[in-house]
Amino acid sequence: MTHDQVRQLVRRINPIPDPSVLGTVDVAVPVFERSKDMQVDERPVAGQRRDRRGRGPMIGIAAAAVVLIVGVIYTYTNTNREPVAAPAPSAIELPGEFQPIVPGAYFADTDGNEETATRGTFVIEGSGWQSLEAGVLRDTPEGVDNGLYVGLMVVEVDKVWEAPCDGGASAPAGTTAKTLGDQFAAMPEFVTREALTPVSAFGHDGYHLGLSVPGGCTDGETVWTGGAWGERNYQAEGQIVEYWFLDVDGTTVMVEATRPPESIEEDVAAELVADLDTLLDTLVITP
Amino acid sequence: MVMESQAHMRSRFETIWSEHRLQVLAYCLRRISGADAEDACAETFLVVWRRLDETPPPPKTLPWIYGIARRVLSNQNRAFHRRGRLHERLTYLGVSPSYDPVDFVVQGADDRRVAEAVNRLKPTDREIVRLDAWEDLTREEISEVMGMTRAAVDQRIHRAYERLSRVLAPTISPIHSPPVPEKGGT
Repeated sequence: MTHDQVRQLVRRINPIPDPSVLGTVDVAVPVFERSKDMQVDERPVAGQRRDRRGRGPMIGIAAAAVVLIVGVIYTYTNTNREPVAAPAPSAIELPGEFQPIVPGAYFADTDGNEETATRGTFVIEGSGWQSLEAGVLRDTPEGVDNGLYVGLMVVEVDKVWEAPCDGGASAPAGTTAKTLGDQFAAMPEFVTREALTPVSAFGHDGYHLGLSVPGGCTDGETVWTGGAWGERNYQAEGQIVEYWFLDVDGTTVMVEATRPPESIEEDVAAELVADLDTLLDTLVITP
Repeated sequence: MVMESQAHMRSRFETIWSEHRLQVLAYCLRRISGADAEDACAETFLVVWRRLDETPPPPKTLPWIYGIARRVLSNQNRAFHRRGRLHERLTYLGVSPSYDPVDFVVQGADDRRVAEAVNRLKPTDREIVRLDAWEDLTREEISEVMGMTRAAVDQRIHRAYERLSRVLAPTISPIHSPPVPEKGGT
């Protein structure tokens, strides 16, 4: 089957082949907010706006709640991954995918939405780190393709692939730490290193799971998606992946820490792994 | 001078709105359910208004707006995910809180297989395929929407259609119908 023939098949399931059929649809027209450039009376288009009453006050209340909760979280102690020190308050947002980052305090927005406050904050101490869409990566000259890197991601997962290495379908991510953890634990091809276990980590209760990447699942197969445009696949057989599925005040957040395969000589990977552990010691997740 | 500037902005926005409103609404309706699509369309044009100074002139205007719509939809999807418990409960009660717009045009098992195969693509690849097959954008325009290089778009389209071909070829006969229409305008 040629690519044009495939394209024709995809065109056949276009829900709106011809936008002109929408000509009579009464579209919700934006009524513009006051802006520094325009008077309210200068609204360019008249129309009805979908009711968004209460949004402003809700954001205000949420912001106040966040301030209170952040204070509580920073004093919270956990049993498994207790932050060694609270990250500096001047943490800055990660600069975007594959940008080199210098030592300092950073935060990853767990859902890529600036209107929500949930974030993972951590301190980078060494050199060689790069930012990802929802985390950080430190690799080596041998490159990511060999699995010789360490990475940390802090995300709200959208979808999990049920049998990712075998072309399985995606499913909406579980909405609790337990149901999300169960989805990952049920992926048939991955090798379980540590079974799904209740834990308290990074200031929150949840579940921990340790897997390693199987052969035949290193060719770009998507395993999960989430965060800011994030879609995750793995690169090398034997890569060790640790997951923490956490209930962060009702929001399910996943922390993923990736380590090189055990087949890689220990002295080559040791520095990377030590750097990742140092990083994990500083991670705090705030709602 | 200020009033003149405001009048100019208003005029420019109205032109953009009238020329592209239906295309952007269609873009949204192809991806999410009706009420949410209307919201997303309105939100998209709100961003256009706020960033009117940055809005490129034709022919780059529409791809630029699609890029905004894509991000608006992404934020809506995340917000919907956070309402997941309600979604699960409604589903349990037999109430469908949302639908896939593709469901309305799927006719028969072949279409269903195509829809499923497209849904299994990686999100980025899926969006690129839709921009190619549904919005009829050129490769250059797709690279504008996705913020990628032209080479990256070419590679992803090739890979995505290869994958779809492998999945669909054993079970579906290709359409032997009119040639692929000229691209450039929906």
